[in-house]
This record gives sequence, structure tokens and C-alpha cells, in this order.
Amino acid sequence: MKSKLTIALLLLVYNLSGQINITGKVTDKKGIPIIGANVYLEGTYDGSSSDETGSFSFTTSETGQQNFIVSFLSFETYTLNKDVSEMKNLNVILKEDVNSLGSVVLNAGSFSAGDNSKASVLTPLDIVTTAGSAGDYIAALQTLPGTSNASEDGRLFVRGGDANETNIYIDGLRVFQPFLATTNNIPTRGRFSPFLFKGTNFSTGGYSAEFGDALSSVLQLNTIDEPDQEKTDLQFINVGLGGGNTQKWDNSSLSVNAFYINLKPYQGLIEQRVKWITPYESLSGETVYRHKFSNDGLLKVYGGLNYANFELIQDDINTTEGVNFGLKNRNLYLNASYKGNLKNDWDIATGASFANDENDIKIDDTTVDDTENSFHFKLKLRKRFSNQFKLSFGAEQFLNTFSEKAEIPSIDTFNTTYDNHSTAVFTEANIFFSKKLALQVGVRGVHNTLLNYSKISPRTSLAYKTTSKSQISLAYGDFYQAPQQDVLKYNSMLEPEKSSHYILNYLYQDNGRTFRAEGYYKSYKSLIKFDTEIPEFGSNFNNNGDGYAAGLDIFWRDNKSIKNLEYWASYSYLDTERDYKNYPNRATPNFAAKHNLSLVTKYWIKDWKSLISTTYNFSSGRPYNDPNESVFQNQKTRTFNAVNFSWAYLISQQKILYFSVSNALDFNNVFNYQYSNTPDANGNFSRRAIRPNADQFFILGFFWTISDNKTDNQLDNL
Amino acid sequence: MKTVLIILSFLTATTINAQAAYEKGMTKAFELWETKTPDEAINLFERIAKAEKENWLPFYYAAQVHIVTTFGIKDAEEIELRLKKAQNFLNEAKTFSKNNAEIMIMEAMLNTAYVAYNPSVYGPALSAKVEELYQKAKALQPKNPRAILYHAEWKMGSAKFWGKDPKAFCPEIEKAILYFEKETHDTPFYPKWGKNQVKRVQQSCQ
Repeated sequence: MKSKLTIALLLLVYNLSGQINITGKVTDKKGIPIIGANVYLEGTYDGSSSDETGSFSFTTSETGQQNFIVSFLSFETYTLNKDVSEMKNLNVILKEDVNSLGSVVLNAGSFSAGDNSKASVLTPLDIVTTAGSAGDYIAALQTLPGTSNASEDGRLFVRGGDANETNIYIDGLRVFQPFLATTNNIPTRGRFSPFLFKGTNFSTGGYSAEFGDALSSVLQLNTIDEPDQEKTDLQFINVGLGGGNTQKWDNSSLSVNAFYINLKPYQGLIEQRVKWITPYESLSGETVYRHKFSNDGLLKVYGGLNYANFELIQDDINTTEGVNFGLKNRNLYLNASYKGNLKNDWDIATGASFANDENDIKIDDTTVDDTENSFHFKLKLRKRFSNQFKLSFGAEQFLNTFSEKAEIPSIDTFNTTYDNHSTAVFTEANIFFSKKLALQVGVRGVHNTLLNYSKISPRTSLAYKTTSKSQISLAYGDFYQAPQQDVLKYNSMLEPEKSSHYILNYLYQDNGRTFRAEGYYKSYKSLIKFDTEIPEFGSNFNNNGDGYAAGLDIFWRDNKSIKNLEYWASYSYLDTERDYKNYPNRATPNFAAKHNLSLVTKYWIKDWKSLISTTYNFSSGRPYNDPNESVFQNQKTRTFNAVNFSWAYLISQQKILYFSVSNALDFNNVFNYQYSNTPDANGNFSRRAIRPNADQFFILGFFWTISDNKTDNQLDNL
Repeated sequence: MKTVLIILSFLTATTINAQAAYEKGMTKAFELWETKTPDEAINLFERIAKAEKENWLPFYYAAQVHIVTTFGIKDAEEIELRLKKAQNFLNEAKTFSKNNAEIMIMEAMLNTAYVAYNPSVYGPALSAKVEELYQKAKALQPKNPRAILYHAEWKMGSAKFWGKDPKAFCPEIEKAILYFEKETHDTPFYPKWGKNQVKRVQQSCQ
């Protein structure tokens, strides 16, 4: 009897009295039918595709509550839990997936280079195959609009801001000394080898609340998550040699590299305008370890150590014998970051960086020894409430200690120290109203213990997709930055400097062609002023400076029109004045030329197996001050012109011969003038032109990659 | 006892039924693909994959149909969409079958599709990855004819680019033909495609 009952029950369940027909229609928000959507009951074989009218119909033998699913490319998956018997004439409206391609991008102010970013205007390869960059990650960015050409410095001058107004981050963590130590008029370069990075985001304004303590710009560099293969790279160039090796295991990898530079043989051959006593010499080593956890979390640990040493005699209008300057620098940088997913759509990104920087400086018979230790810790959490709404928040701690001992014979020994610590919190919401309209709103609060200030800065950006190929975006933000080391040494009573950005961006992208125009206005407040030639003990400091920068940045790139040729052109118009440092009134600083133009071309000649790159840089005259004139800073240098050329010849797939020359046409460029402190007998101040140390720089190199698969090479590092 | 037996026999019947449904579904999906309705095929593979759970094959084929479809279209956005979707399917497949040479070969093809549609952007970024995937697949299954054939085709392509003789890889194709002949599998619907591509790849050997 019992068994009969069981059988009866089982039959009832098993045989599912007949079939149920599920019907309905799939459309988008506007009611336009979606053809080919996948319509089915979850966990069963029962389903169908929607037809030309968006309609569907299929039968099922399931009963009771079931999950009815509709999925389609670039739309969010739709789920309905209902009794199957009620699944008749369903009206399914699919929501566009705002994460899919073709969505609007919040991009005002920024340039991205990477495979994954939808608003990428450059690829990582572009950055390093640019002629004139000579393997320096930073130099290539100087061909983008918004930057001012200051090739005697080497750092980034963004939209009327000086080089200190740009901060650099690796994997979200601050880099404290991103540039090699150098002196006036000897251009520096980035400390990091280009092949460690897979992507770059260069923001020339209006950046996220995640970043602070920078008035003008933030450059984010992201290291490679997983190297493609095990390999050994060797580099032999006329100014040094280097090598690197990458090892891979199941879930982790290790890369090490080292580079030695010695300019002595080169400077023996090519005439220099400064007299080198000890030509530039540096030794650097880097290592990166990456580990992927079973939960997909990714840990990256980076360590870099760098020694540099040089001594030279710089011309000076005030002393016939020149100024003897010597520098020994040691820099240690450690960076560890972790990124992972937590439960319930939470993401975590956290990490810490540490830098120890020591300089032994000699200026004639004065010696200066300084030591700086810096630490950054960051924790950022992000919750995805839906594809339309994400909220992130985080906290940061910065510790910075500086000590300096300056010995001036016949005067005294001066000891200076300070502890410049700050704590910041930030939060930001990302809202996609639709695939076409997105908003980001954020706020950042910071407290600095040295200067004892607390500041709140709002940030916001909005983007609207006007057509499938174009969009406009707006950004606004307030930015604060603590005074620099040269001021903090002598004064800790100041307020931070402040800027506000207003940005309007237009972007057009069509299959290999990009046009980007961005107009901006930036106001400066509370800029630091002092009453001596340079900040020194006894200078009177105040926050009474101010200024503005307004301009238009244009970028055009085309990879399609001419076969094997890629090129981009950037133009920046900049109108800026500021009253800062020891300026008597508002004036345009020396680094800010009104017009900057770059034209970058890369031509691949298949038959020669050669990549030929050229870069043309133009800047209008740069302002300088002539004490013989009554108006401050009202003179202009001649225009700046340079054509850089490089040729990479692929001997075989893994061996590259490389040649480059900067300023190939040998233009005679002047950056600035130095005037004597005292007038001559006729009451005139005499002057000296500040020019490059050498008009041209030649690089000849051989790059060899050894790997099992024999396909990789170092073209992307040149 | 009797009850248990009855229930057991019913359960077996259910399993056999599910097995039959799987075979019917997969066969139908391949038919849809052959009759030039690839999107319907993808939808069906996806439905089977979701219903089956723990089976990498339907995900694998859903990805393959997307990848193969991109070779015939020009619209950049559609290509990127399909390849992204294909990568998601392959990621799902990988969670059910780790260290699977066939999935690696399919992933190599997916990356080749990126390179084929935009060589200047994806060539430098993905070439090393394609190579590594083929090498890993061959290390796992040295006699996999698809790994050998498509790796040879990939190498021939790069030999042509570098001005070298692609014929150096022709013996590999002969090897692939041999392994295609010997290929047998107990698992139904296990990948066995590729043999009909031999002629096309061999054109460079004339």
C-alpha cells in the first residue's frame, strides 16, 4: 500500500500533467523589440530565442515557482520568479548594461592608456615608442595637450602649474620621489622602467576625490598583473647597460631588473655646455613580486633602489669661475598593494608605500645632507549596489619626516627638521542614469598636523553621450596642496595652496580616429610668497599669492587614414598669470608658453622591419624677466623647435637595433636668461642665455629578449 | 526496501532522461550553428550550460560560436562585445575544468581574433599570450591535433610577417593530420573539430 502511494506521488511529480506554454515579448526601454534574446527557465533546458518582433514562446513541463531568465549582449540579465502557470504574455523590458561597451565615460580632464579603458586615446605601446622619450615613461606624456614643454626640466608642467603640482601614483599608492635627482637645467627622467606598467591614467585636472595634495595633475601608473611569459631582457646602449628576468609559477611571478648608466664615455665624445667633473652615473635595481590568491585577490610588491652621483661646474653670470655642484642620491622605494573582491559586491583595494631618500649635496664649499622618509597607507572599499550605483570610500595616512644639516664654512651649521603628517578620508558615488548619462560626486577631507589645517574639497563630474561616437563631459573640483619641502624647512605656520578646476570636454571616437577638445579655467588661491630670492632662513612667508590659468587643449589621433602610419597631434593654448614666490605682481611664469604643439608620427616599414618615429615639438616664446626693463617678466625668448627622430630596426623577432637623436635639425633653443645681480658701469644688467647642455642627444642601443616562445621583444620599451 | 528500489529506479530514469535531454540539446545546438543561426546556437548552448552546471562543454561551444562569428563581421563594437562575452564563457568553462588544453586552444583563438581585427592595438599586447597558451596546451596534450594545427598556423602568420619561410611549419601540419586520424574520445561532444581546416592552412605549403 505504502509503495503504491509512493509510486503515485512520484508519477504525479514526474509526469507533470502536460506542458505549459510560456509566452511574451522582449523590448528595450523605448519599446523597440530585441531580437535574439535568450529566454529560458533557469536550471532547465526549456527556452527559446526572441524572434524578429521580440516575441517568444516555448513549452515547459516544469511546475510551481521558477526563475524565468532573459539575457542578451550589452543588456542586463532579467530575472522573474513566478509560478510557471502565470508566465503568459510576459512583457520583458531589458535595461541597458551601463558597464558594456558604448557607454558614456567619465573622462573630463584625463587621458587613459591601456587595453581595458573605454576612453583610451593611447595604447601603452604608444607611450614608449614616441621619439624623444628615450624610454622615459614621463617624456612621452609631454606630447599630450595640457602639458608645457620644459625640456630643461623633464618633469610634468600641467596647465600653468609648476612641476610640484603633479603627483604620481603606482597602483594607487603615492610615489614620493618619482624623478631622478638632478640640478638646474639638467633634465631629469622617471625612476621607473617602462616595462613594469600596463596602463596609465594621466589627469590634467578634475580628478577623483581619491587623490589629494596636488593642485594641477595626477598621474596613475598601474603595474602588470600577470606577465605573459618567462623571459630575459638585455639592453646595451651607448650610455649604459641593463638586464632583467621574469619568472612565472602557477599563481605568482617575479620580475627583477637592473640598469647602470654612465655618461662619461658619451660626454667625452659630444661637447657639453657645462663642465662635468664627475659625469652622471647611476645604478638602479627593481623587483616586482605578484601573487594571485584562490579568491582572485591580487597582491603586488614592488621594491626599487637607486644610487646616483654627479658633479659639475655650472656657468653663472655672477661668478666667472661658475658654481661647483655635486650630488649623491640614494633612493629606496617600496610599494605593496592588494586588490580583491569581498562578499556581497564589495571590493577592497589597500596598500602601503614607503620611501627613503638621502642626498649629499655640495655647492662650492657648502655641504648639505638631507634625509626624507615618507609613508603612505590607503584603504579603499567599494560597494556595488547595482550596475547603476556604486559607492566607494576610503582613508589615507601620510607620514613624512625630513631632516637636513647644512654646513656653510665661515658662517655656521644649520639643522632643520620637520614632521609633515596628514590624514585624509574620501567618498565617491558613481551613478549611471542610463547608458548615456553618468555622474560622479565625491568629497575629500584632509587634516595636516604640521600646519594644523583641515580642508574639505568637493569633486564632481558629469558625462553625457551625444551620439554613438561622441560625448561631452564636465568636471569641477577643489584641490589643496601643502607647501613644498623648500618652504616647510623654514616655516610651518602656512595654509595650503588651493586651486579650483572647471572643465568642459568633448570627445569623438570613431574606429581608429579620436578627436578631443577640452576647455578649462583654473583659479589659484593662497599661493605662497616670500621676500627673498629663494626660500631661506629668515624669509618672510605668507599665503597672499593667487593666479589663474585658462586654456584650450586639442588632441587628434588617426590610425586609419594612411596605412602603417599612426600619428597624433596636440595643441595647447594657455593663458596664465600668477603672483607667487617673490613675484612683485601677477605675471606669467617662465615655464608657461602660450602655445604648445606636438606632432608624433610612427611609421612601420615592413620591408625594412623598421619602426620610424618622429616627434616635432613647438612652443611659442617663454616669458622671462629683464631687470633692465621696468615691467616684471615682460620679455619673451625665441620660439622653441625640436624634431626628435628614432629608428628601431628588428634584426630578428627578438633582437632590436635602436637609434635615436633629439633635436635632429639642430635648432638653437633658449629656455630663459640669467641676469647679473648688479648692473655694470653703464647701469645695464648683463645676461647669460640658459640653453640645453648639448643641443642634441644621441642614443644607440641593442636590445635582446630571450624567451622560450621567441616572440616577445622590447619594442614596447623603446 | 521495495520503496527504495522504486525510488532508485525512478531516479535513474530521471538521470537517463536528463542525459537524453543533454544530448538532444547539444545536437540541436550544433544543427542551429550549421544552419547559419549562430545566435540561436549560442543561446541554446548557454541554456544547456546553465542547466547542466559543472559541465565545461556547452560554455566552451558558446564561446567558440561567438569567436568564429567575429571572423565574418566588420563592426568593431559587435566584435568587441562578442569576444568579451566569449571570454566570460571560457572563464566559466575554466571553473569546471582546470588545466584543460582544449579551453586553452580556444582562448588562444579568442586572442587571435582580437589581433586579427585590430593588429596595431592588440598585436603587441596579445601575441606573447597566444603563443604561451598554445605552448601550455601542447605541454598538457602533446598529441592534440588542434593545438598543433593552429599553433602552426599562428607561427606561419608571424613567419610571413618577419619575412621568413612559413613552410618551415608544414611538417607540423602533417603531424596534426596524423593525430586527427587517431583522435578518439569517450565523452560525448568532446571537441574534435579542425580537420576540415587542414587544407586551408596547408595553402601556405604549396
